[in-house]
This record gives sequence, C-alpha cells and structure tokens, in this order.
Amino acid sequence: MSNVMNRELQPQDFAPALALEDAHGLMRPSRSYWQDAWWRLRRNRRALLSLWIVLGLLAFALLGPALWRVDPARQDIDQISQAPGADRSAIIVAPYQPWNGLAMADAPMQTGVLGLGDAPSSQAVRVLWDALPGASGYRLYRNNYPIDEEGAFGLPIVDVMASGGGHYEDRLNLRPGTYYYTLVALDEFGGLTQRFETLTVEVPRVITVEEVRQRALVPDNQELAPGDTVYLAFHPLGTDYLGRDVLARLMSGARVSLFIGIVAPLLYVLLGVVYGSAAGFVGGRLDQVMMRFADFVVALPFLLFMILFQVVFGLGPGQSGIIPMMVALVLLQWPATARLVRGQILQIRQEAYISASRLLGARTWYLVLRHMIPNTLGVVLVTLTFAVPNAIFTEAFLSFIGMGVAPPTASWGSMSNEGLATMLTHPHELMFPAIFISLTVLAFNLLGDGLRDALDVRMRSLE
Amino acid sequence: MWQYTLKRIFQGIITIWFIATATFVAMHSVPGDPLSSERATTPAIRANLEERYGLNKPILEQYVLYIGSFLKGDFGISFTQRNRQVNDIIREHFPVSATLGILAVTFAALGGVLFGALTALYRNRLPDTIIMFLVILGISVPSFVFAALGQLLLVNINNLLGFSLLPVAGWGTVGHMLIPALVLGMSTMAYVTRLMRSSMLEIIHSDYIRTAKAKGLPAARIFTRHELRNAILPVVTVLGPAIATITTGGFVVELVFAIPGLGRFFVQAVQQLDYTVIMGTTVFYGAFLVTMVILVDLLYGWIDPRVRVQ
Amino acid sequence: MTTPLLQVSDLHVEFDTYGGTVKAVRGVDFSIEAGRTLAIVGESGCGKSVTVQAMMGLIPMPPGRITRGEARLRGENILGVSSLGGREVRGAEIGMIFQDPMSSLNPTMSIGDQIAEPLIVHRGYSQAQARARAVALLDMVRIPEASRRARQYPFEFSGGMLQRAMIAMAISCKPTLLIADEPTTALDVTIQAQILDLLRDLQNETGMALILITHDLGVVARMADEVAVMYAGRIVEYGSVEDVFYRSSHPYTVGLKAAMPSNDPERQHELRPIEGSPPDLFSPPVGCAYAARCPHSMQICRQQPAGLFGVGEAHLARCWLQHPASPHRPAGLTLGGHGHE
Repeated sequence: MSNVMNRELQPQDFAPALALEDAHGLMRPSRSYWQDAWWRLRRNRRALLSLWIVLGLLAFALLGPALWRVDPARQDIDQISQAPGADRSAIIVAPYQPWNGLAMADAPMQTGVLGLGDAPSSQAVRVLWDALPGASGYRLYRNNYPIDEEGAFGLPIVDVMASGGGHYEDRLNLRPGTYYYTLVALDEFGGLTQRFETLTVEVPRVITVEEVRQRALVPDNQELAPGDTVYLAFHPLGTDYLGRDVLARLMSGARVSLFIGIVAPLLYVLLGVVYGSAAGFVGGRLDQVMMRFADFVVALPFLLFMILFQVVFGLGPGQSGIIPMMVALVLLQWPATARLVRGQILQIRQEAYISASRLLGARTWYLVLRHMIPNTLGVVLVTLTFAVPNAIFTEAFLSFIGMGVAPPTASWGSMSNEGLATMLTHPHELMFPAIFISLTVLAFNLLGDGLRDALDVRMRSLE
Repeated sequence: MWQYTLKRIFQGIITIWFIATATFVAMHSVPGDPLSSERATTPAIRANLEERYGLNKPILEQYVLYIGSFLKGDFGISFTQRNRQVNDIIREHFPVSATLGILAVTFAALGGVLFGALTALYRNRLPDTIIMFLVILGISVPSFVFAALGQLLLVNINNLLGFSLLPVAGWGTVGHMLIPALVLGMSTMAYVTRLMRSSMLEIIHSDYIRTAKAKGLPAARIFTRHELRNAILPVVTVLGPAIATITTGGFVVELVFAIPGLGRFFVQAVQQLDYTVIMGTTVFYGAFLVTMVILVDLLYGWIDPRVRVQ
Repeated sequence: MTTPLLQVSDLHVEFDTYGGTVKAVRGVDFSIEAGRTLAIVGESGCGKSVTVQAMMGLIPMPPGRITRGEARLRGENILGVSSLGGREVRGAEIGMIFQDPMSSLNPTMSIGDQIAEPLIVHRGYSQAQARARAVALLDMVRIPEASRRARQYPFEFSGGMLQRAMIAMAISCKPTLLIADEPTTALDVTIQAQILDLLRDLQNETGMALILITHDLGVVARMADEVAVMYAGRIVEYGSVEDVFYRSSHPYTVGLKAAMPSNDPERQHELRPIEGSPPDLFSPPVGCAYAARCPHSMQICRQQPAGLFGVGEAHLARCWLQHPASPHRPAGLTLGGHGHE
C-alpha cells in the first residue's frame, strides 16, 4: 500500500538470506547503572555547572589562602568598611601638629560665617566661625549627608557657650569623603535657634611618612616627601567594619562553613545509614523500637535544640562552637537518612531478585555487598548532596543569631551577622558572605537534583 | 477515623513527653550549675536560690517536679527577670510569633500551590522558567538575607515615596506583619512550589488523568477535579514540618525587624543562660509544633479518602 | 462500499526522547464496521497502544507527535478534533478502558462520581440524575450492591471490580465504539473471562463496535471478528480471525502462535519463543523489521520493506514471501526455516 515498488524483483532476491547474524546485533550496547547515571548527569548542563561551582568553592577554601596571603584577622585601620574598588590613594603630609585656633596663611577663604583653619584632611578638620548676631553659644554638627529641609544636621560634635567667634578641631573618626558641618546658634538657655550655617568639606585621605614606613606600603628605600601620593593596601572585595580584608575572611570563612557543611552531613548520613540498615535488617520488634526512637528525635524542634546544645556545651556567646555544632547536627539530623535507608532495605528485601539470589545459595554478606549496598548507594548519595545545603544553612542561621561560630573566627554566617549592622551604609559586608552562602546552597541543590534524576531515585521527601 | 485521631493524639503526647525529657536531660548536663554565675554572691543567697528553684533536691525528684509542673501548665519563674513567670512571658510574646508564623505559612502554602500549578501547566515555557528561577533563588538564599533585603527595600521605598508605606520595624498593625511574614514564608513557598510542580507533573502523566481525557472532560474540569486535589496531597504532608521550620525560622526575622516575639526572647534567654525560660520555651514550642503536625495529619486524613475511610 | 464506522489510514506517530526520535507507529491502516470486534495483537512496544491513544488524542504532545495519517469516524476526521456535530468524540462517541484499572481511576474521587462525570459533562445531567444513572450502570456491569459501591473509592475495590467500573464509565454515554486497551492483562485468569463475557454481552446489547488491544492470542480467538497483527510499528498481517489463525501468512504470526501455550497434548512441549528481540525503533531497519528474526528471511527482506500483499479475500500480509513473484508463495508457512522446505 504505502510502499512503492521501485524495481523489478529478480529470482535471486528471493534467495535465502545469510544466517541470523544480527538478530541480537540490533540492540544498543548496554551500560552499567553507574555509567548510565554518569552519562545522564553529564547531559544535564545545570548539574554539570553546579559540579564545577562546588569544585571551585572547594578550591577557593583550600587553595585560596595560599594564593591570597592576607591575614583575615589583621585590621587595616586606614581602610574601615571600604567597598571594593574604593579609592586607595593617600597624600603624604607632615605629622600632626596641635592647632592654636588661628587660620593659617594658606587657608582657603572663609565662606560667610563658617570657614576652615587650614586644608582639611583625614588627619583633622579645623573649623572656624565668626559671631552670629544674637547667639549666646553654638553647637557644631557633622553629617555624612547633605542637609535637607527637614534639617537633620547629623552628629552634634561640640557645644560652645560663648557669643563671639570660635573654632573647633574635629579629629573624630574621619574618613575620606564629603562632610557637612553645620553651626547652629544657641540661645541663652542653650536651646537651639533657627539660625544656622552649613559648610561642605571634602576630606582627602592623608598619611604621614612614619605611617607609610610602619605599614610597609612602599619599599624601604623609596624617598617620600609631603604631597606625594601613596597607595594603601589592596582589598579586592573591600574591608569590614574592623578594617579586615573581606576576601581573606571569605576564604577562611569558607573553610569553616564548608567544613561544617560537608563533614557534618557525612557523619550523620553515615550514622543514619548504619542505624537504618541495622533496623531494616534486624526487623521485628527491635526495628519497631528503633524507628519509634528515630521518630521522637525527628519531632524535636531542630533549631531550638541546636541552640540548646550550644548551651549544653557550655558555650556562651563569644565562643567559637564549630565542634559542638557538628555534634549537635549529627545528634539531631540522622533520623531522616535512617528512615530512608531502612525503607530501602525493607523494600529491597522484598524484591524477587533477593529471593532468587538466596535460593541460589547467596550468604547474607554477599546479599549486602552485591545487592543492598549498590541499590541504596544512589539514595544515600542524593541524600548527602541535599544535606549539605541544609547544614550550611544551619551554620549560617546559628552564627547569624550569635549562637554559632563567634568572632574572631570567620564563617559566612558570622560575617553576615556582622554585616547586618552596617547593611544600610556598607551593603557589601553583608552581600559577599550572603552571595557565597547562596551560591553554595544553590550549587549543591542543583547537583542534588541532577544526581537524583541521573540515578533515577524517587524521594518525595527531599524534593 | 476516630481510632486514627486518638492514635495520633496519643503519639503526640508521648512525643511531647520525650521533648520535655530531652530538654531536661540537656539542661542538666550543662557543665557547672545555673547559679555559678555572678548572681549567687554569698552562700546564703545561693542556698536561698537553690531552695527557690528546687536545685538542692535529687535529680530524679527534680525531674518529677518538673514534669508535674508542666502537666499543670506551669513553666516556673525566670532566673534573670525575677518575679516574672515563664508563663507570662509565653502568654505575652507567643501570640506575636504565632500570628507571624500562621501568616507566613498561609503565604507559603497558597503561593506555593498557585505557582507550582502554574509552572506545571506552563512547563518549559516562559512562566515556568521565570518562576523556577525565583524558586531556586528562594531555596538558596538564607532567610536573614531576605529579611535584610526586605527591610532595605522597604526603607528605600519609603524614602522614595516620601511617606511610610509600611513600617520598617516593630509590631502592632497589619502593616507591620506583611513584609516579615512574606520574608519568613519565602523559602517554604519556594519549597512548596517545587513540590507542587513535581507532584502536578507526576499526576498530569498518570493513568487516571489519561482516563479523564479519554472521558472527554474539559481541561478546566480535569485541572480542578482531578489534578489539583491529588497534587495538593503531598503538599499537605509537608505543611506540618513546614510550620516547624517557619516558627523557628521566625527568630531571625524577629531579630531583624525588631518584632517582640517569643523567638527573640528565647535567643535572649539563651544568651543570659536563663534556664527556666529556655526549658519552658523549648517544651512549649515542642508541644506547639507537635500539635500542629497532628492537626495537619488529621487534615490530610480528611482530604485523602484512603486515610479517612480506614 | 459503505463508509466504515472507523477508518484509520497511514498513521505515523513519533516520540522525542533523550536517545533520539522513536518512530513508534510507522504507517498503520485499519477499519472497523459497526458492531464488529477488531483485535490488534502484538508484543509489548509494537505500537498497538500508541496507535489507539494517538487516535484518541491521548499521547502527550510533546514529546509525541502524529506526523502523518488520518482517522475518520463515519467519514469525518477525528484527529485533533474534540467534537463532531456537537457530539464529543472522546467519552461520548468513543469510550475507552485501560490496562491497569488500579491506577486508571482517580484515587480521591468516589467511583459513582467518576462514572457520573461524563454524563454531567456530555449529556447535561444534573448531579442527582447522573448519580442515579451511575448506580444503574454499575448494576449493568454486574457489581452487587451498586448504590453502596458507588459511594466507595477505588482503593476499596478489587481489580476486577475496578475494571467493571471502568467499563461502566466508558459506556455511560452509549458510545458507538469501545476501545479496550489490554483490558484483562492486569487481572486474574478467572476474572479475565468474566470481563470478556461482560464486554461481549454489552456489545450484543448496545451494538457498539469494539477494538480490543491485547497480546493474548487466547483473548483474540475468543472475542475477535477481525485481527490485525502488529510488529515494530506496522500491521504485518490483517484478516478475519479464521484467516489469521488457520492460514497465517506472516512468519511473525506463526512465531506468535508457536509461543502461545496450548491445551493440545501433542503441542504441550513445543512452547517456542521467537529468537532475538524487536528492532530498535530509534533507527528502524531498512528492509523488513522482522527479517533479523525471521527463519524464512531472504535477500530482498534486508533491502526493501515489504508491502501488504493480498493472500486471500480481505487477508493481507506484509511479507515478501507473499509477493506475487515469490517462489514460496503457495506453500503454507511453517515454523522452521528454509531447511524444512
């Protein structure tokens, strides 16, 4: 019907074909379970990418500190809370000299009432003012933001109860940048009046020769003179609120977070496998009792008990609790794996191929090695992969509420905790550790998904 | 069904007892004793305090007393805030945490079911791709980052608008609750979306949906009558554990948004080593969570005829 | 010649999978008259279920797609069409039951409600009318205590009972054609017979046509008027049940028969499997798909696919042996190869 004859048939066409050489040759080559899984995993681009990310993160934690040799605990007091890419230049100036309150000859012109005694710098800002009519005294404010209509002047830095002109030397925690100094006239009772003047001051970063030598910012033999520009230490990802290098802390934090994130799951999954397979094997009453106990442990409110364990280990705030955290994770997290493995073992025991194997005289240890372990390995591997993000989250959570890894030890969680305080002004201190946590969790989750698909493991509870 | 209910309640009671005992054991294995800190200055004061908190009695008697007072619903007196009953603290601050938690669970469940069903229906098309990308973010980003970002966003929105659209921190009005609850429910919502999606996909390819199609039912009817109801079942089973995750996850959100919930008190009590508050709150939370899990189980039984009838 | 009730011609179905495109159905033609029974026979994966599911629009698309062909019900195309003249094709014109009744019914909906659904949707019955009719239908498929049973859920039914309920559901709108896709495969032997009797009785009562998909030649012999034997996505032999059984003209049909257990004491020990396995449908062979397993295979078989050649009146076989020029043609087919000739 559908096949059109395209040539005349000859008698030899009806001659017998050669022997059945390819009756079986038509089938595709067979692959082992693991070969097949690996093949499927490699075709999953997301999983493969996350595998690379995981390897990258491990390299970051293990090899990073060897390449970026900055002490994560060292405080660079010249650069506090510096965002990445911030200007690192500093002008060399003479050492600090006390001020007599007079304007220097080369001082900038006074603008209106408010003026500067000499060139402002991160060493000192020297403010001068003339008398304001009707003022009994003055209050000087400093602000990081321009003064708007609502009239928030910022930080009050000094009250001077004298009606005439005055001066003030500001050396309070000065950073390079723009400051807004506001002088408000006070009445005779010290109350604020509506009369005020604002001065905008650009503060450049300065450094003395001695400080440069101390911090070894230039080679020892280099000549330095005031007015020269030097560059402060390089912090690729900026510094935190204590002037510590964020990259170095991320690397040492990675060691802590990944250590907890990988070793703790390894331990509790192992415990779960042992417990679960024991219960599954023994069966009967003991199995019932063992699983009831596992149920109870599952019912414990997890994070509360994690915190409780930190207390039990005698850890007040301020002590680093890496080992207690691992112990607590192992004690609380094993039942999920145990249940899963037990279920698998019970299911496999029912399978016909186990009976068949037994019928053929296989001993128990052979069944375990040949059938049970290979058939549960997939599930266990997937569980393990999904357990990692869980442990990393737990570490971050505990450290974040101050019950986990505590200063000065860095972990991504404790860095986030510290970053929260400066979130509004220096978001990078929170964002970098948060990005690392998220990236790690993401990579392990996607890898877990890929593995689950590749190994064809059906586990609803972990989806 | 009645038998099932009674059985679950009995199991719940045993579980709560286990939690109480585990808490007791944990707290009594703390090295040193609760009064070793600066509070007990002289032996006389110390003796008085021991008497008051019953710490001079044998451990077994303490345990019996402890369980006994829990049975009466009495969690004792705070160590650090003298004359303040733990019950009062719970009564005052738990409703705040519970409100926040329930709101968050509602967000998570409704959002998750909705988005999960959407992604399954638009599988491998744009809505699916977008939602699943957000889901992956939701699962991978820790809750405190969401909390911080939520607050940051709120500050900026309020600044931009020039008036306070929603309060940035604190508690009291519905406005205070919305963003914290959303932030708190975020990761669970992502989780439920994923679960719902895979559950929907499994059901879409099931034999009984094929039957429904062979019956010539309209797509809308297949979706509501056959797919949705069956796909929701696994979601309901994870709601119990989700409530637990959300309530304890609330600690972070309470810290960030300065919400006077029980979680913040618990963290505070731990930092001050306020033993009775720690024990009382843990057991109370445990009991609450067990109750919620049982309620969810019963809800499941009500939805799934296979459980209901047997 | 009058228009048959259902006419399927040149149907091609493909599936996209990880490993490539599977050509599951590669040009299938058949027709069925009202009130008749057509059995489609073949081993697993030969495309028999895909054929009818594609016809009913039940294969998921993607990954599946119908690349060619058509299906006409009383002369009107039904592929990709949901209703004919206001009458729904699926559920009303054509009813369908499936292999595994356990998984083919919604576990969270009562049996009665599931049977009532097509009546509500296609016939505009009220909830109460449809429920009452569902009970009557359950009674009709011989389920005792029908009104109580209607309120129960699938997990409370046995496999045989569920299949009866499926049948009740499929015939609720009085279809002109019932498709039964391996209706008895998942059931006990004794239950199988009951279900087949039920189908036959219902067919006599309602005059509907029946397409029966099975791999069980016993079922075919018991039920069918016409038989289509499928192999590797194509019909390889087509004819009346007598022609196909007693005048088998394709080596595959012969092989199938030999592989079937028999009551005949002389043949008891002769249960012969067909050597080898079906071809890979990712890349079907150039010639006859059965050539590699065929004891009679010839040079031409490896080079060109065979057409359907007439063997007798309304009896066709897709085999070069039946080609008019074939020297083997008049001889009846035997199990063995060339050595037997």
